[in-house]
Amino acid sequence: MIRAVLADDEVLARQKLRQLLKDVDDVEIVGECSTAAETIELVRLTDPQLLFLDIRMSDMNGFDVLERLSSDADRTVPHVIFVTANDRYAVRAFEIHAIDYLLKPFTPERLHGAVQRVRERLLTGEPAQNGTAKKQEPEPYTTRMIFKSRGRILFLSVDDIRWIEAQENYVRICTGKDSHLLRETIGSLENRLDPNSFLRVHRSAIVNLHHVKEVKNESDGDATVVLKSGEQVPMSRSYRSKIQKLLKFQ
Amino acid sequence: MQTGRKNIPAFMNPAIFITSSVLVGILFAFQEWISLRHMGYHMHAPIFFESWGFQFLVWGTLCWIMWRFLGGWIQRARLVTILTIFLPLSIATSLAQQMLFVFIFHNLPLNHEEMSYWQRLSMYVYAELLDNMLIFWCAFLLFRGIGYYQQYREQREAKTELEIQLANAKLAALRMQLNPHFLFNTMNSISSLMRSDVEAADTMLEQLSCLLRLSLERGESQLISLREELDFIELYVGMQGQRYAGRLKQSVNFDPELYDALVPSMLLQPIVENAYVHGISKTDAKSSLTIEGKRDGNQLKICVMNSGNGLNMKSNDRGRRGVGLRNIEARLKLHYGADATLEIAEADQRNVHVTIVLPLQYSTEEENQLTRFGTQ
Repeated sequence: MIRAVLADDEVLARQKLRQLLKDVDDVEIVGECSTAAETIELVRLTDPQLLFLDIRMSDMNGFDVLERLSSDADRTVPHVIFVTANDRYAVRAFEIHAIDYLLKPFTPERLHGAVQRVRERLLTGEPAQNGTAKKQEPEPYTTRMIFKSRGRILFLSVDDIRWIEAQENYVRICTGKDSHLLRETIGSLENRLDPNSFLRVHRSAIVNLHHVKEVKNESDGDATVVLKSGEQVPMSRSYRSKIQKLLKFQ
Repeated sequence: MQTGRKNIPAFMNPAIFITSSVLVGILFAFQEWISLRHMGYHMHAPIFFESWGFQFLVWGTLCWIMWRFLGGWIQRARLVTILTIFLPLSIATSLAQQMLFVFIFHNLPLNHEEMSYWQRLSMYVYAELLDNMLIFWCAFLLFRGIGYYQQYREQREAKTELEIQLANAKLAALRMQLNPHFLFNTMNSISSLMRSDVEAADTMLEQLSCLLRLSLERGESQLISLREELDFIELYVGMQGQRYAGRLKQSVNFDPELYDALVPSMLLQPIVENAYVHGISKTDAKSSLTIEGKRDGNQLKICVMNSGNGLNMKSNDRGRRGVGLRNIEARLKLHYGADATLEIAEADQRNVHVTIVLPLQYSTEEENQLTRFGTQ
């Protein structure tokens, strides 16, 4: 069971969260609060694993709440999902390792995605490190990224990326059922991603090996990478031996 | 030829200009008369004022004529022209002015009645040619200065004009989302979906919010990357697609190399909106909307093609559709002058093509992006 606290100064906003979370079996709401002071008190009292936090509240903002909480030495800070109508604090939220940043109004789908990420984080046993918490050694590869796509702010875990296609100065990142255009070169993205999961198969394509179903040889010596979703990504000859080695290795 | 520009300072009016020139001459005369008195010479005052006044009357007239007929040329002249044309011209004008002066005032210099015209002229040329040329070049610089001032004013006015146009475009965009066609129909769709398909209702509500957010947060910049413009258009097209689900086929196709190209902000939206409001919504038949962008040499060519209702050239619709398109046309003209065009054509009874051609320019500034990378 994931024990969660809802903090939002609007009754209807809390009600929406409550109703949507009713369908999620492993989340239990242990408390609701409408001010920052109440939130601090309630978190100290109930010690939840997850906190749904609005940023603008009447007395303090959400970040102040987290700062207060992380100054408690003997307590682990809950994982945080920000739920707000304001998109200005997204980078700050990302930097303090918030799980997600939901812009109001959000869809149940977005909420479920965020909760799923909390589950994964709890499984790996990683503590939430909100802001002032101790710094870890920086990992060499990107595991999460934040970007804006069509007016939405996304905290994307790189595991959700199926494949990436270069389009001139941009890359198209294809996830579950969506694709996002990012101003980035495929080369710099390749360097940021863990080569054990992400493989360059073509001058203009990177695939996530966890989403690869098979490699199909074509008659002319080239090959096609078939993803579990059925999508086909062309592969050039020079990259073929690499992927076959890696797939066997897995 | 005088430049056809506005913002000509009031003092360039011939009467004012020549009068002030004469006043300057009288000031000089007064100064010389005083200083000579100071040194103990007593002279007949009118001769000073007459000669100085006359000299500056001639200069004032000459300069004004120069401004009237050579003004634009002076303002545009490059160094080569200045050296090869205006330098000789300054010498010639000064000489001519002095010849006239010496001819009129034959009792000058004083006490040299025995000298011939040419002797007196050479004496004056020797003493005052440089001074006269200085007057010429002062006028030259003044006219050039006026040119810069006009340019500055014009640029500022053009900028203000652009800002107004952009504000109008933004307002139009907001109004588009807040108009009965769109906002209330979308809300009605959401309301209907709430009973049948809550998730779809939620999706639509989120999209509507994204659209409003995007248009509210558009910065003040006149030109944005095509990518940003397309973000908006794709979202808008996607929502309209849900409303016309089943009978509308739409596609947005842009060459990726154009994503960084600069386009005036809110360029496409009124055109796409027209396609829905005047074309697609007016027919029950299956229709299509295609938005394409291609590079054409040094130009960017964007086509919005829709089937549905044609242009109906005779109906009153034409006047109504004007406002949005006129606004775009005006903004294109302000940004690119004659280098950009907007064309509306009826391919046949049911198909309308809008084509925009504008010079291809790329942003030199790095976009301020939200994107960050991190680790768990």
